[in-house]
Amino acid sequence: MAAWDLSVTVEDLGLDAPPVTISVASDLHIGGVILKLVEKTQIKQDWSDHALWWEQKQRWLLRTAWTLEKYGIHADAKLVFMPQHKPLRLGLPNGITLRLRVCFSNPVFQTVMGICRMLNIRHPEELSLLRPIEEKKKKKDKNLAPEIYDLTEVPLSSGTLSRPCLYNGMPAHFADSPEMEAIYKMLSVSQPPPAPEVIAKQYRPASVVDKAHINGRYVWLDSSRCLLQQGIQESDKLWLRFKYYATYDMDSKYDAVRLTQLYEQARWAILLEDIDCTEEEMMLFGALQYHISKVAQSEPQIMSNNPAMDDLDSALQSLEVKMEGEGSSASDLLENMTAPELTDYLKIFRPKRLTLKGYKQYWFKFQDTSISYFKSKEESIGEPIQMINLKGCEVAPDVNVAAQKFLIRLLIPAPEGMNEVYLRCENEQQYAQWMAGCRLGSKGKTLADSSFQSEIQSIRSFLAMQKTNSSSSSANASEESINTHSLVSPRYHKKYKPKQLTPRILDAYQNVAQLSLTDALMRFLQIWQALPDFGLAYVVVRFKGSRKDEVLGIAPNRLIRIDLSVGDVVKTWRYNNMKQWNVNWDIRQMAIEFEGNVNIAFSCVTADCKIVHEFIGGYIFMSTRSREKSETLNEELFHKLTGGHEAL
Amino acid sequence: MADLMADLNATEEKLATEIECLKAPSASQPDFPPPRSSNVSTPVPSAASSLAPPPPSGAKPTTEEIEAQMKADKIKLALEKLKEAKVKKLVVKVLMNDGSSKTLMVDERQNVREVLDNMFEKSHCDCNVNWSICETNPELQLERAFEDHENLVDPLSAWTRDSENKVLFQERPEKYEVFKNPQNFYLWKKDKTTLRDMKDKDKELLIQENFCGTSIIVPDLEGVLHLREDGKKSWKQRLFQLRASGIYYVPKGKTKSSRDLVCFVQFDNVNVYYGKDFKSKYKAPTDFCFVLKHPQIQKESQYIKYLCCDDIWTMNLWVTGIRIAKYGASLYENFKTAEIKASNSVWTNRSTPSSSNQSTPSPTVKGSMTSPPPPPPLAEVLPPPPPDPVLPPPPPPMAAKTASKPTPPKRNQPNNFPPPPLDMDNLPPPPPPPPTDDHLEAPPDFLPPPPPATGFNSLPPPPPSFGGVDHSLPPPPPDPVSLPPPPPDPVFVASGAPPPPPPPPPPPPAAPVATLRPAVRTSGSLKKVPPAPPKRTAPTQGGGGGGDFMSELMLAMRKKHADQ
Repeated sequence: MAAWDLSVTVEDLGLDAPPVTISVASDLHIGGVILKLVEKTQIKQDWSDHALWWEQKQRWLLRTAWTLEKYGIHADAKLVFMPQHKPLRLGLPNGITLRLRVCFSNPVFQTVMGICRMLNIRHPEELSLLRPIEEKKKKKDKNLAPEIYDLTEVPLSSGTLSRPCLYNGMPAHFADSPEMEAIYKMLSVSQPPPAPEVIAKQYRPASVVDKAHINGRYVWLDSSRCLLQQGIQESDKLWLRFKYYATYDMDSKYDAVRLTQLYEQARWAILLEDIDCTEEEMMLFGALQYHISKVAQSEPQIMSNNPAMDDLDSALQSLEVKMEGEGSSASDLLENMTAPELTDYLKIFRPKRLTLKGYKQYWFKFQDTSISYFKSKEESIGEPIQMINLKGCEVAPDVNVAAQKFLIRLLIPAPEGMNEVYLRCENEQQYAQWMAGCRLGSKGKTLADSSFQSEIQSIRSFLAMQKTNSSSSSANASEESINTHSLVSPRYHKKYKPKQLTPRILDAYQNVAQLSLTDALMRFLQIWQALPDFGLAYVVVRFKGSRKDEVLGIAPNRLIRIDLSVGDVVKTWRYNNMKQWNVNWDIRQMAIEFEGNVNIAFSCVTADCKIVHEFIGGYIFMSTRSREKSETLNEELFHKLTGGHEAL
Repeated sequence: MADLMADLNATEEKLATEIECLKAPSASQPDFPPPRSSNVSTPVPSAASSLAPPPPSGAKPTTEEIEAQMKADKIKLALEKLKEAKVKKLVVKVLMNDGSSKTLMVDERQNVREVLDNMFEKSHCDCNVNWSICETNPELQLERAFEDHENLVDPLSAWTRDSENKVLFQERPEKYEVFKNPQNFYLWKKDKTTLRDMKDKDKELLIQENFCGTSIIVPDLEGVLHLREDGKKSWKQRLFQLRASGIYYVPKGKTKSSRDLVCFVQFDNVNVYYGKDFKSKYKAPTDFCFVLKHPQIQKESQYIKYLCCDDIWTMNLWVTGIRIAKYGASLYENFKTAEIKASNSVWTNRSTPSSSNQSTPSPTVKGSMTSPPPPPPLAEVLPPPPPDPVLPPPPPPMAAKTASKPTPPKRNQPNNFPPPPLDMDNLPPPPPPPPTDDHLEAPPDFLPPPPPATGFNSLPPPPPSFGGVDHSLPPPPPDPVSLPPPPPDPVFVASGAPPPPPPPPPPPPAAPVATLRPAVRTSGSLKKVPPAPPKRTAPTQGGGGGGDFMSELMLAMRKKHADQ
């Protein structure tokens, strides 16, 4: 067979180097071409990761046994010889940018699997890569460019492990050096709340249409094609995000990074109003964020251990100590377990309709779950003037540190209704103790409860927060005092001052203050997932036969049709009623058939119909996982469901 | 794990409070009548000793260790005793559907599920999942079924002393309707035929989606409801929305977007109640009303929120939605437990050879139950009925209800309350109990065999052979044991015809009307209460452990079935 010249650009020779020309025959297989190339360059290095890229056809020549003829390559082909793995800048949900080596030759689905394996994120099928919009204002604050954490040295491993073996609670490659450990901590521990200005600066969608346009602005990459085919170059920046909101099999023992990153993504979705919530929900999200950042910073990370187990162990241990204590008699034992005493002079006020009496001072005593008060300390042995049982009551703070106002508002249930009572404390210390007592009492707990001291602490730290907010600016506030504006979306920055926000968040905080870090993260995710609009991705579409644009919402279990003029959900279709769906790639139209002869068809306005197709197929794939129960990912099925005709 | 922790905490707390009583023994606990404490504390030693920690592992214990161990045991025993003595108990009168009633002791550690199980044992009902313990408040015209995981003593303690409130044992199909037909709640916007023709696998999927994920999904409810204005007599319409975090409404002139919603109520401190006959009481637009209030509020108050729906369907949608939002996963757990109970009882009953199916009473066993046809409603603890094959099986309460002429299951009428228990008086007295002293400790949950449905006049009470049939059961003592056999009541001699309900407790010594009113007494008012039935000493099991084995077998079968 006749020999002809094939010129190949070898990336390792430098960008300006002329292509290397080798003499080949059409029946030469790709492996042979590579061999010739390597011999010609005379560079001694590991070429095992290198492969040929055919530029005009935008494809990799990965089958080394195929001949040039089979690939259809002639002398005019422009080939590039380069490594399949290249560094990439990767933005994570928590805002950190990593630099790591990823695969440019496999479908994005596999690239994401590789990334997730490296970062110790299980269930990579739930994530994907986004191409961020061009940031134009970047020139202005170039010196503020975020720090990039380098992971390019991490050796690439293969194989999927659903339960990766952990060393010291982290994958072995993170346990190598302190620097790597620090990066792992960055991945697995939630970030402190962002400054309010940072939130305010980010783009926030104002309407469903805006949200639909996000899918045009930030483009999800095609899972069935490789990075290079989608125009991603070495060192480009991509975002790694959870794409399918169908979190499956979350296990805090193995999922430290996954849980944290999902939380961060949820937190930003709330702060930037990607998903709508009510004011009450926002306050609860704020309280949880505050709690999570506080606990994350204080709690030493024992990632491999189960916290509940620890609690039980220590409880049993202390019980044992108490039981076996040297010379402990039963009465000693009882003595030790007595609740801390809480007595003091406080002022009380009971607002009634026709009286205008002010606060009166009495001697107060906290007992079990009740507060009793007496005329004076001396008379406290006798019958109290009144005893208030706090069980089931509502406790609300009414505090202004600057004005030295420390009120506890109690709504005490009685057969006739709720009785309103105010307790006035003199100072912070007194307030924190009594407030903590009232909160425990309202939950039916006594002061002997182990949470009493931590409750006092959390109240005091919240008071401290109010103090710093009112005095100094928040810019250089220490970690102890978080600006409450960092915890809510900018809408509430306008509506409330930080010191107005503090009591509201504090109010929500009392219900979550005792949660462990994992529980708090899970609670945040649960409330997020319970929001009505959770998991919806929006696309502007034009339904067949309709003359106006409408919005299609794609949820984990259904499609919804939203009328733009009213903003109402007009129609819902569930995936489990879906019989089949087709894409007409020529006219870019999707047609879906549901049970009961329901047919819909639409073309996509703000996103490519491949993206919509992949979303729907992806969610259907996600729903098959629980049934299969197998540990390995059925990649073929994923591509079958999401790939369209181009795949396979 | 959390439970254990709570337990430990509770022990510590109890101790802490207990010591105060020790310090000041000046009769600070007047509500401990001697009989009760003696009853209560008797079972403790055995329970405590069985709980004692095992000796330190490893080599033979030295004498010191043994001593230390004994000391520890003693301390633990003391702790247990203290704990037990502190446990609050209520004597609760539970009204049955047919108007009769059962009296039972509920302690504060028991949840409604356990009380329901007790009632199943006492009532020979069919144990289906719809059975509920409910409370009614005649003054506010409210009623609510307790959730199975709820503690019963707590809400009952909130009743006022002169309360007319009642505890009922009845079937409430709406209790777990959401798990039988989830589409009616989660896809309520769809048209009726789609909902009716929903396939079982789709129903299952809906339950999976909404109850088995990381978070519980609340039905997406939105609609116009009538709200009773505070203090005013008028009702005004508002657009309400249910969310996991509470009920919200859309203020006038605002959009429905989440950020504009105003919070109407959150669920932490309120329960949801059905309102009865509000059209006449409050001039409500319809009678389909529900109410949100703090459980402790018992009288008219501005803190009660009254809502009115256009139809019963909407009302059930909202009440169920609120329950899902408030109780979340517990609701589904409760349902699963209830289903197991129901199918277990089906199984045990089927396997009893002497029972027959002719009196199947339960129209409420829904298609969702996979088990075979509803069985005669025998509780597993019952001794087999008299071995005479000609006899019809004992009538279930349901049968009694349908057959008996004059006893409509009215609940709120303490005065003309039909006293079918007294029918029993026509019967010859129950088999002579052994010396009552011995039986003071006998568990009150064992029932005398149910009287046959018809022709009971001619029959002697449980035939003597009965004792021989089932060795493990003591001869059924009268219930409660401590009471003397009830005196015959002349008024009811004539009414021999209505089939008697399951053996009821003999009326307490006081006049029936008087005992009905304070159906529940807190421990503080125990002085007035008839002697409490003795405490259960052991969980009652089926005769000779057969029930246990059967239920295990049943579980295994179910599992196998599920695997296929």
